[in-house]
Amino acid sequence: MNRLNNLPTLRINPSEKLTLKYKGRTFQGVSGDTVATALFANGVRVFARSLKYHRPRGLYSLDGECSNTCMEVDGLPNVRTENTLLKDGVTVKEQNVVGSADRDMMGFMDKLDWMMPAGFYYKTLHKPAWVWPLAMKQVRKTAGLGAISPDFRIKGRYDEIYPKADVCVIGGGAAGMSAALAAAESGRRVILLEARPWLGGCFDYRSAPYEDGRPLYERARELATQVRETPNIRVFTQAPVIGVYNNNLITAFQTGGPEDSFTERYIQIRAAGLVVAAGCIERPLLFDNNERPGVMQVGCAHRLARTYGLLPGTQAVFSVGHDLGLEAAIDLFDLGLKISCVADIREDGQNPELLLGLKERKIAFLRGWVATDVEGGKSIKKAHLSTVDGTISKSFECDVLIASAGLTPVTGPVTVAQGKTAYDHHTGYFLVTETPKGMHVAGRMTGLNHCRSIEASGRLAGLQAVADCGLDRAADIDAAEKTLAMLPGPERGAKLVTAPVKGRKTFICFDEDTTIKNIKQAIEMGFDVPELIKRFTSAGTGPGQGGIPGHNLPLYVAKYEALDTKPPKPTTVRAPLTPTLIAAYAGANHDMHKRTPAHHIQKAAGGVFRRIGVWRRARYFSQDFTCREEILNVRNNVGMLDASTLGKFRVHGPDALKALQRVYVSDIAKLKEGRVKYSAMCNDDGCVIDDGVIVKQGENDYYLTTSTARAGATAEWFRYHTRYEGWNFAVVNLTDAMGVVNISGPNARKVLEKVVDADISNEAFPFSGYREFTVAGAVPVRAMRLGFVGELSYELHVGASYMPTLWKIIEEAGKEFGIQPFGVEAQNVLRMEKCHIILGQESEQRTNLLDVGLGFLWDRKKTDAKTVGAAALKQTEGDTGRLTLVGFQMEDSARAPRDGSIIVDNRVRGYVCTARRSFSLNEAVGMALVDSQLSDIGTRLEIFEDECNGQRLYCKVVPKPFYDPEGKRMKM
Amino acid sequence: MIGKNTPLWGKKTRLKSSYDAVIIGGGLHGLATAYYLAKEHGMTDVAVIEKRYIGFGGAGRNTAIVRANQRTQQNVPLYKEALDLWPVLTKELNFNLMFNNCGNLNLMHSEAAMNAARMNVATAQFHGVESHLLDAKQIKEMVPALNISEDITYPIHGAMYHPPGGIVRHDAVVWGLAKGAAKLGVEIHQQTEATAINTEGGKITGIETSRGKIHTPRVLVSAGGYSAGIIYHMLGIKLPISVLTIQAMVTQPLKPILDHVVSSGAYHAYANQTLKGEIATGAHMDPWPNYTTLTTAYYIKHQAQALSEFLPCLRGVKFMRIWGGLADMTPDMAPIMDGNDPIDGFYMDCGWGYFGFKSCSAVGKHMAAYMAGGNCPDILKPFNLRRYENHRLMGETAALVNYTPDN
Repeated sequence: MNRLNNLPTLRINPSEKLTLKYKGRTFQGVSGDTVATALFANGVRVFARSLKYHRPRGLYSLDGECSNTCMEVDGLPNVRTENTLLKDGVTVKEQNVVGSADRDMMGFMDKLDWMMPAGFYYKTLHKPAWVWPLAMKQVRKTAGLGAISPDFRIKGRYDEIYPKADVCVIGGGAAGMSAALAAAESGRRVILLEARPWLGGCFDYRSAPYEDGRPLYERARELATQVRETPNIRVFTQAPVIGVYNNNLITAFQTGGPEDSFTERYIQIRAAGLVVAAGCIERPLLFDNNERPGVMQVGCAHRLARTYGLLPGTQAVFSVGHDLGLEAAIDLFDLGLKISCVADIREDGQNPELLLGLKERKIAFLRGWVATDVEGGKSIKKAHLSTVDGTISKSFECDVLIASAGLTPVTGPVTVAQGKTAYDHHTGYFLVTETPKGMHVAGRMTGLNHCRSIEASGRLAGLQAVADCGLDRAADIDAAEKTLAMLPGPERGAKLVTAPVKGRKTFICFDEDTTIKNIKQAIEMGFDVPELIKRFTSAGTGPGQGGIPGHNLPLYVAKYEALDTKPPKPTTVRAPLTPTLIAAYAGANHDMHKRTPAHHIQKAAGGVFRRIGVWRRARYFSQDFTCREEILNVRNNVGMLDASTLGKFRVHGPDALKALQRVYVSDIAKLKEGRVKYSAMCNDDGCVIDDGVIVKQGENDYYLTTSTARAGATAEWFRYHTRYEGWNFAVVNLTDAMGVVNISGPNARKVLEKVVDADISNEAFPFSGYREFTVAGAVPVRAMRLGFVGELSYELHVGASYMPTLWKIIEEAGKEFGIQPFGVEAQNVLRMEKCHIILGQESEQRTNLLDVGLGFLWDRKKTDAKTVGAAALKQTEGDTGRLTLVGFQMEDSARAPRDGSIIVDNRVRGYVCTARRSFSLNEAVGMALVDSQLSDIGTRLEIFEDECNGQRLYCKVVPKPFYDPEGKRMKM
Repeated sequence: MIGKNTPLWGKKTRLKSSYDAVIIGGGLHGLATAYYLAKEHGMTDVAVIEKRYIGFGGAGRNTAIVRANQRTQQNVPLYKEALDLWPVLTKELNFNLMFNNCGNLNLMHSEAAMNAARMNVATAQFHGVESHLLDAKQIKEMVPALNISEDITYPIHGAMYHPPGGIVRHDAVVWGLAKGAAKLGVEIHQQTEATAINTEGGKITGIETSRGKIHTPRVLVSAGGYSAGIIYHMLGIKLPISVLTIQAMVTQPLKPILDHVVSSGAYHAYANQTLKGEIATGAHMDPWPNYTTLTTAYYIKHQAQALSEFLPCLRGVKFMRIWGGLADMTPDMAPIMDGNDPIDGFYMDCGWGYFGFKSCSAVGKHMAAYMAGGNCPDILKPFNLRRYENHRLMGETAALVNYTPDN
């Protein structure tokens, strides 16, 4: 196809050839083409088949408002080829066809529409019942547009940026550019977002005169140059806006060009002022077969020629409702398109100069006429027209019908941010009536059509947006308002809803093959509001996201129901305003996690890491996941564990003790310096939420640990429960600032003695003691004697940067004793043998302090402290039937039940928290939460494991702990 | 198929001045209760009062997943009954509810999570509900699109597989129940707002609406996310409910790629493919209480990040639409179903959080029995409001929940 290669408006470079593969053949396009325009240039007219009826579909708009040109490009499904720039060497495929788009074996579906009235799937395929599962398989196969394979991996680099702007402008047309320039005058940072690859909007391709007689496209380029040359305006092209949220949070994504470092990137902007100048799209004209290949919108036909150098056909009929249609007819005629006639819905109101232009060119002009039908399948042969009341009709031979009912504003960016629209009887548009704070609308979407008005409204909005940044621009705003008021306002729009047709093949939504007949059926069935009709008929739920039916559906519903009392109400527009790749949304998609300061050392030592909350922790140190060696080395010798993930806090200030008394169940006032206290926190229900140790480092100065999981919530917890007190204390989160190494086992003291400068004998540093000393003469540590795993144990807290050094010192000192690292699972078994609980494992949400046997921690006397949870603990003290923690021993010592197995009789009575075959005891033991009636020592419990096939396991309740009941080993 | 179309749920009628029972809320629970009141108890003088249109709230905003693999013995039988009712209701209502019995796969990302899931599996099996633990390789065979490699944030260890679950077309349930109820004589009044509930001497006497006063001895509030507000403002009863926005979204339609409901607690994400071919996906509630149903930039991005990891082929698919609904969360993630306490004739069915859809059929049946006879059916007894006063949470969630610092 010959291109119009010399137009000044072209956005292609005809000399730079690109290729694409389609149907096994190689086609040529040029730089600047979209995939669809390149195919169009090569004679392709049928791009896809429709969802339900498999009707052939062609190029209708160029902005992706429907799925007509959705194709698979390089394996990526549902690419809107009409506005996706062609890249060299891509492979393009049709979707949803059996055969090809030209010859689709499923084409017969179009004849079966009588079987598929609105919502037919709710009323069929379920009788008899066995039909449905089979039918469903077929439904699934026939539904869906593109296909993707399970091992598909998208290529390219995806990124994200969060630029800051004072003013953000959505839309790079004349209004948007004017707004950006006005906003930039005051030196503030402005971001301009434009979906197309260039700035210019509706001026970009038009040769109609600007005010000074220059063509509009020259004015567009002039503005674009000014914008580009303004240093404080940052322009993002190929960056459609996808969401607008509270307080002007704007999201978009940008497609990168060959010189960019990204394929696509997610953009998120927070701006003080926002201008929405998103312009208009066309309102589709409703008539029979209104989506045949060969029927296209005015802007599509006009831009095909002016932007891409492609005439839309040879012989055209126009059926339009806006002056842009007349302007396009004149321009396209001059470019060589033959025109049979131009029918205008409007009886009057046309621009007289355009009428004169038509007359000069001897183009037949029909006022008050509209297209009613086209003949032809994969291309059109004839168009039928009639007067809008349907009384007189005529036919014209043609291969292209340029059809449009008028315009419709793109209000999505306003309504997703909770702005309001209302139907305007003058323009026939849903116009913005209310914007959220800091948002201003401008340009054609406000109903304006005159070129100077469009620019003036942009300037005004730009100034208002700058005022939102706190600048006083009242005088300028006042002047801009006056200027705008002097210019032509919104023009009267065409109101025609449908051509005079019955509507069996009049498509109100292309993507879902919804006809106006379907809409009538839905209304008759009681679906009387557009939102319900949308759900019932799926109109507007396809990939075009309401671009085609958005305006017509509410108008049609209002007309059909003859609701004079209520204005038409559009359906809700939802983000993303433009379909957005999951890869683009995900952006860089970093894996955010924390590593302890001993991470690399443990990794080198063969640690097998697991993600635990925000951390990665070494769970095992061999592939033996029973951890036999690790466990026995701790029991018989000495091991070391990285406990750096513990929550660590300093709580200090004049009221620090009061705060601790509030959140801890114990009486912290009794804690003496040099001692470690184990205690717990409850919530208002008395349920245990945390346990840990507290150390007193001075008057009202405490150092405490929390469980790993609670570290993030602890500071907030203190604050929340003291919020009415006005106490003076500070909570400092030291979790990441400190590392912790735990040395456990009968040889622990021997190891530590070698490297410390203090007396750490049992007398000088007994169990539950706290000391501060120096390791290797250089590393200051806080040391606690604890016994979580039931052995002699030291927990050394150090500044995180010392942690690798400390680890190595201990490891070196312990070499002669065979010290080995042990992981979280070994610790889990060791402490289970000792019946020390891990919250979340031996407790669930409803487990309170008394249920887990920690009632001894609760100091009932400190009522003044208003301890969190104390009231609930008092109330539940005597309750029976609560789940209570017990220790149990299996009857078969060789086999422990799997964790999570349930305790049953004729109903569920509890569950196994942790159970293992114990290497230390040669027994299978564990802990379970059981109904308190079953908690007496000696009670036989019946265990129901998953997949047990009726085989139950049995155990009996035994005293806790199982290992070293007197606790001699940890106190040695 | 062929023939004249008539309104599915009856012609619009005048609001009467008195009914045997009034149900506030034209969602799934309200409609199901109305349907069963008429069908099983012969109570046809019933009005469903809906402020907007039926199915406006959670009924039309959920992602339509059904399952019966809950954690506790109080819940499993109720959801099992609901699951068994889908085919029955399809037949009874003569409306295709499009039950896709595809099974649910709940991914587990650590040994600890597998153990926690085992309790659910064992509880299900004990109650005769099919549910199994599978390892990573087994689920990869079932769902080839899953990424079971080690190099993602939360590597997949295994899954809880629940074959009887699946997806039901949520809108169909709304319209089907409305159709069934209307056919039996129930009146459905849309665009009618309840403005007050009247009591006298501890007894319900009627309600006031935007279209006039109604006398009735029985009122059920089943208004989803709005229930707690209605009950507090009209009767002064404070419920331990936090209302949060929960968001969901769909991708563009695709040919079949995902044959199961796949969900992951660690990633806060679930995904399933609708019959239309869209991947419906969503996650946890927003972390702040509100009634807005607004969507957020953060949420859809999070969802993309999550899916990118465990279903990486979906990176090549586009999101098309995101929406928000309300989840009315209780402290133990189990609902409140109660009646005649403290007001005779007042019933409530709320606090369903994000479980309201899967339970609606069975709950409608039992709430109807409750309202018709005045006595609480055994299966509903554990869900009374007083359990919170007595510090007896139900245990439906293992982990602590914290929607707001004050519950």
